[in-house]
Amino acid sequence: MSKDLHDNICDKKLFAQVYDKYAEDLHNFLYYKYGEQFNPNDKTQDAFIKLWEHCKKVTLSAAKSFLFTVANNMTLNEIKHQKVVLQHQKIKTRDYTYEDPEFLLEKEQFLQQYQKALSNLTEEQRVAFTLSKIEGKKHSEIAEMLGITQKVVEYRIYSAFDKLKSELRGFNI
Amino acid sequence: MFYIQDGRLMEKEYLIRKWLANDLNEEELKAFELLEDHDLHIEIIESAQRFKASHFSKVDEFEKLEDRLSDETPVRELNWVRPLMRIASIFVIGFGIYFLFLYNNLTHIQTMAAQKTTIELPDSSTVTLNALTEISYSKNRWSSKREVKLDGEAFFKVAKGEVFDVITSEGIVTVVGTQFNVKQRDDYFEVKCYEGIVSVTSKETTKELLVGDTFRMYGNEISFSKTSFQNPQWTKDISHFNSVPFNEVIAELERQYNITVTYDTIYEKRLFTGGFVHDSLDNALKSITEPLELSYIVESLNHVRLKNSGG
Repeated sequence: MSKDLHDNICDKKLFAQVYDKYAEDLHNFLYYKYGEQFNPNDKTQDAFIKLWEHCKKVTLSAAKSFLFTVANNMTLNEIKHQKVVLQHQKIKTRDYTYEDPEFLLEKEQFLQQYQKALSNLTEEQRVAFTLSKIEGKKHSEIAEMLGITQKVVEYRIYSAFDKLKSELRGFNI
Repeated sequence: MFYIQDGRLMEKEYLIRKWLANDLNEEELKAFELLEDHDLHIEIIESAQRFKASHFSKVDEFEKLEDRLSDETPVRELNWVRPLMRIASIFVIGFGIYFLFLYNNLTHIQTMAAQKTTIELPDSSTVTLNALTEISYSKNRWSSKREVKLDGEAFFKVAKGEVFDVITSEGIVTVVGTQFNVKQRDDYFEVKCYEGIVSVTSKETTKELLVGDTFRMYGNEISFSKTSFQNPQWTKDISHFNSVPFNEVIAELERQYNITVTYDTIYEKRLFTGGFVHDSLDNALKSITEPLELSYIVESLNHVRLKNSGG
């Protein structure tokens, strides 16, 4: 059965494919943009539920844009009701040994500063940089996800990198 | 000269932009590697992986969502449901008040040495208790007042809802839907906030902690610092200390391994930064003694003596 871009997605099987295609990207987008405390997984689920409720009216080609817009708005609504400091978590050093506290301390401090620097980026810079350098998305993919041109993507990534560089100089690593 | 300088600047930015786009040819790559900040460039990109989303938050599988997708179109809410609910609630409150006087017993949970446990509270908040810790709370009054008495150390994940209080002999911690660690051992009181906002009141001080903040009161001294972990290490069977008095480090070692340790009292207040694992006494002892240039003798199955390496 070929998928017409104008098919409605009220079919569970088709819907599942839509989910598999966009859920992880949507989740990551929310995570990198707003952080963990606004529950990117829940918002992703809620956006898909909304999509299902409106499945008769939203076509396959419009689904991605619908999902990103709805999820983004849901998160903004939650933020309005809270005043919390945005902070991106980092993992502990996986190769943790207790033999060289001096080195580990430097690395810890570097990562803490990195964490701060990441949250000091604009949302646009942070999303572009992380999707590119952490998730390995191509510039073209990011452009499509965010509804902007490739040139803009490149500009945001470079701005982010430049800012990170200026905030992270001076560490001996 | 101005042109040459400008030319060099342009070149650096040009190379970095192309490198960020993975678009350097062989010659450009060589030039890029010779840049002054090359190590920093590489480090920034490599360390970025530490912040990868999937380490902290994952999206559910479709199967999980499927249950929530109704098979029919949603129906307008039935108008008779609400009034009925109100009548039902009066009955419930009526009975509730009656039972309140009968059932006010507290639930107690306690861990032994070398034991940890996680329990679920009536509103699906969870508490993970470290070794030798006791908590108590009232199941019946939970819906009106979320209050837990704590003696020891526990990591709380609080479900969203009304105010949630943790009461210790040294201070009170108040939160609304968040994750935090409370440690109260003798005169050492410490609260670490891992998510949300935590309000700590101790003696006359009240302080609001945000994610990553640590409040510590040792004796009468209050200090603040940051934690760089996203949840307490002890829940992963590692104890980690950041400038903590050595006697507290030893006390935790004793709790985790159910042993006693003797050592020279001059080390008691020495500040210790480091940690130890919970599954190997030998490794744990090495981790603790090496930074202070001590050595250890396991004198019996549950007794260890520390002494100076030199002697």
